[in-house]
Amino acid sequence: MSLTSYLRIWLASARYSVIRTLMFRGDFFIWSMVELFWMSVNLLLISVIYQHTDSIAGWSKYEMLLLVGTAMLVQRLLMGFFWSSLFEMGRNVRTGAFDFFLAQPGHPLFMASTRKLDPDGLVNSFLALGVVAYAAHRLGLHPGALDLALYAILILAGLVVHYSILVLTMSLSFWLKSAQNIEGSYFTIAEFSRLPREAFRGVTSVLFVWLLPAVVVGNAPARTLLHGFQPAWALWLLAAAAVWFSLAVLVFNRGLRNYSSASS
Amino acid sequence: MTAGVDKYRHAFLIGLQSGLVYRWNFAVRAFFSLFQLVVVFVLWGAAFAGAARIGGFDFDQTFTYFITTLVLQFFVGAFNEDYQISEEIRNGLINSFLLKPINYFLYRLSIFSAARVVSGALVLVPLAVIVPLLVLHGRLDLPHEGWRLALGAPALALSALIQFSIAYCFGLMTFWFLEIQGFVILSLAIESVLGGQIFPLDLMPARLFHAAQFLPFYYQIYFPAAIFTGRIGRAAAVQGLGLELGWALALVGLAQFLWGRGLRRHTAVGG
Repeated sequence: MSLTSYLRIWLASARYSVIRTLMFRGDFFIWSMVELFWMSVNLLLISVIYQHTDSIAGWSKYEMLLLVGTAMLVQRLLMGFFWSSLFEMGRNVRTGAFDFFLAQPGHPLFMASTRKLDPDGLVNSFLALGVVAYAAHRLGLHPGALDLALYAILILAGLVVHYSILVLTMSLSFWLKSAQNIEGSYFTIAEFSRLPREAFRGVTSVLFVWLLPAVVVGNAPARTLLHGFQPAWALWLLAAAAVWFSLAVLVFNRGLRNYSSASS
Repeated sequence: MTAGVDKYRHAFLIGLQSGLVYRWNFAVRAFFSLFQLVVVFVLWGAAFAGAARIGGFDFDQTFTYFITTLVLQFFVGAFNEDYQISEEIRNGLINSFLLKPINYFLYRLSIFSAARVVSGALVLVPLAVIVPLLVLHGRLDLPHEGWRLALGAPALALSALIQFSIAYCFGLMTFWFLEIQGFVILSLAIESVLGGQIFPLDLMPARLFHAAQFLPFYYQIYFPAAIFTGRIGRAAAVQGLGLELGWALALVGLAQFLWGRGLRRHTAVGG
């Protein structure tokens, strides 16, 4: 299937999702509030800590805010574009309704990932961007157009990493048929994106900075805004995106083979 | 009398079996709780790098607090009870309870207790490995006063009742709203913050901390954890216990009230 065909399918899903959201405006409002609350909780934690100390691993309050805002931005984009669809995939695999996706044109991973768009997640990503902008303003940063473009690229790379982690987590449904709430594990791993790299030492550094890609997702774009182009960080994030995406596709395809439908 | 208690004992046993069947769920949850602990360790470790004491406590004491809340949650936390109750209402399964001499609240409480016994017992397994390690590294810092256990145990029991009652009430919301997921998750954010799971509540500005003590969320996990880890003193513990009892009774009362009101709206179709 050609790229334009995939784009057309995605646009159709997007249109369907937007119409559905307009039909259930109450839902949209509540879920926007839910996401807003969770973002506030994260910001509250930072605020409380900085009432008692001046730095976290050498990061000042607004540097930390920029980092947290960046991590939130990536996560909002993931929630808006892919979360609902992949969450349902887990459920569909368990009930056997996933057959429906196998019968559709296009690769099952694409179809399963893009079925639903969540406008509430996307709306809150503007809020996250606002947090980043506010932090940058308080720090007196004036990033050039190139730095902003780089930031955008690294955010997208971070999105690919988070997407891959989510796909890997949801693919566990192919093997663990009775595991509910495994999607919670994605949120736990995503929390690492909000931590500054310098906070990790020793064993935790090896495991959570080098092995798991979550820390680099927040740190790479944030550092670009704070200190200008950082080639090492940028390359690291792009490489992580490539590696983890390949891994996710691999595991997903393996899972597909393992999948046996419940219905006839 | 024994016949009356027997049915709830049966429900308890069913709850035990059910809890054990879903041990994989537990394993996954416990595994990722470990990850959360790492996030806490890294974040607060970094925060304490710049300040020896935060809110009057050092890093080991603060880290012990987070471990304590995490472990206690496995003993008293309501995990899926609201959705389970919501399912039973939506599927009309509660109809069978309406015709039998069994109190739905007590039935559900029995199952909840059983599930907590299972999750509490299961969490002791990784604890048996982790606690010696932490003690060896000097990371665990628990106070030794005897009264903490004497006051903390009933506080913990009441926390379980409060958590269950809140979940129960949310489940009953299904009588009025078909989908409770939004409410539940919204409430989860509030409960997590005001329950002390995101940060120790005593780190809040004094006025806010004082106000929080009058809300039920304070007693969901922060209160017993604070007693056990030495974050509140004896006088505050005794006073808190009184407030906690009040809230427990109020929430149980609310649960009965909502049940009665909800039943009037409920149309028993099928089942």
